[in-house]
Amino acid sequence: MIELKNLKKKFNSNYVLNDISFKVEKGDIISIIGPSGCGKTTLLRCMNFLNTSDEGYLTFDDETYDMANINKKEINNIRKKTAFVFQNYNLFLNKTALENVIEGLIIARKIAKNEAIKIGEEMLEKVGMLERKDHYPSQLSGGQQQRVAIARALALNPEIIYFDEPTSALDPELIGEVLEVIKQLALEKRTMIIVSHEMRFVRSISTKVIFMEGGHIVEEGTPKDIFENPKEERTKEFLDSYRREL
Amino acid sequence: MNSRLWEIFLNSFSRILLPGLLVTIPLTLLAFFLAMVIAVIVAIIRFANIKILKDICRFYVWIIRGTPLLVQLFFAYYGLPILGITWKSPFICAVIVFALNEGAYASETIRGSLNSVPEGQIEAGYCVGMSYLQIMWRIVLPQALRAAFPSLMNGLIGMVKDTSLASNITVTEMFFNTRTIVTTTYEPLLLYTEVALIYLLFSTVLSKVQSIVEKKLNAQVGK
Repeated sequence: MIELKNLKKKFNSNYVLNDISFKVEKGDIISIIGPSGCGKTTLLRCMNFLNTSDEGYLTFDDETYDMANINKKEINNIRKKTAFVFQNYNLFLNKTALENVIEGLIIARKIAKNEAIKIGEEMLEKVGMLERKDHYPSQLSGGQQQRVAIARALALNPEIIYFDEPTSALDPELIGEVLEVIKQLALEKRTMIIVSHEMRFVRSISTKVIFMEGGHIVEEGTPKDIFENPKEERTKEFLDSYRREL
Repeated sequence: MNSRLWEIFLNSFSRILLPGLLVTIPLTLLAFFLAMVIAVIVAIIRFANIKILKDICRFYVWIIRGTPLLVQLFFAYYGLPILGITWKSPFICAVIVFALNEGAYASETIRGSLNSVPEGQIEAGYCVGMSYLQIMWRIVLPQALRAAFPSLMNGLIGMVKDTSLASNITVTEMFFNTRTIVTTTYEPLLLYTEVALIYLLFSTVLSKVQSIVEKKLNAQVGK
C-alpha cells in the first residue's frame, strides 16, 4: 500500500533521517521505537509532509511521489488518504469536541452538515466521548482530548493513521484510556504507524516493529523477533532499559 | 452655581452632546471598523510572510507609527489637496486618517495574537485537508481576535477621545462645538469640564460593552 524509499532529511548539515526505506501493507500495524532524538517523529512528519524531505520516494497506492519535489496538490491527494494524531492532540481550541471532528468533513471534504454530524457522533461514540461532544478542549482532560483527536482522525475514513507519540504528553493514569482506543482500532485491522515509548503496548499490538537510532533503521521484525530475539546489540541495549516494564 | 453659569450649561449641553452622538460616535465607529479590516489584512499578510506585500505592510506600519496623528490629519486635509487629492468633506478625511492610524497599531496587536495561537492547530488543519486560508479564517483568526480583544478595545476607547483632534480640520464634532461656545461665553472651566464628562460617559459605556462581550467570547471557548 505504501512504500518509502531512501528517505533523507537533514537539519542544517546533520542527517536526522538517513536512507530510510520500508513498506506498509494494508492492515499492518507498524510501531517505530527508539531513543529520543532518533528521528522517529520526523520520519512520521515527513511521510505526511508536515516536514520537508531532502530526498526520497513515497509510493502510495501505486502512485509514486518525489518527496523532495512535491507540489501542494499532490500533498493534498496523499493527505486525503491519511490522518495524523499528534502528541499534543492539537485540537482546535475554539471548537467543541464534535465541531473538531466534523470541521474537516464540512470544510475540506464538503460533506453536508447533518451527514457530517452523524459521522462525527458515531466516531465520538467509538472513542467514548459522545456525552462530551459539546465540551471545548479546555474543559477536557488530556486523555479525553486525545480521544477526540483520534475520533477526528477516524472521521476522515483514512487508509492509514499516523500516531505520533499519542500518550507521551499524558499523565500516567490517563494513558490507559487512549491505548484502549487504539487497541480497538487494531482489532478492526486498521492500517496504522505508531511512534511510541509504551513497549508493552507496542509488543502486544504491532504486526511489525521498527527500531531506529541516529536516523537509521537498526532492525525491523515481528514483535517476537524484536522483543525476544533482537539481532542487533543496540536493540538489546535499548530494550534492556525497558526491561522492568516488559 | 450661579444662574448665568447654569443657563450656559443648559444651553450648551445639547449643542455639545448632539454632535457627540451625530459626529463623534459615527466617526469613531466607522473609522474603527475600517481599522479592523485593515489590521486583520495587514496582520495576516505579515504573519503568513507573503513576499512584497509584507514589505509594503511593514512600510505602512512604520510610517503611521512614526508620525503624530495630528500631523497625519493636517497632511491629509491640508496637504494632499495640493497633490490633487481632495476630500468630499472633512468628516471623510478624518475617517480615513483615523482608520489608517488605528489600523497600523491594531495590526501589530493582532499579529502578536496570531503568533500566540498554538501552531499545532495549523498542522492539524492541514492534516484534515483544510487550506491555509480556511485554517486562518476558521481556526487561528477567531482565537487571535479573542486574545487581542481587550487591547483592541483599548484602541477603540482611545479613538473616541482622539477624534477631538478632528476639530482641527474643521470636523464639527463635540470638541469643535465646545471651542466655539467658549469663544462666545468665556467659560472655559465649565465647558471643558462638561465636554470631558461627556467623553468620560462615552468611554464608560464602551468599557461596559467590552466586559459584556469579553464574557461572551470566553464562554465560546468554554472558559
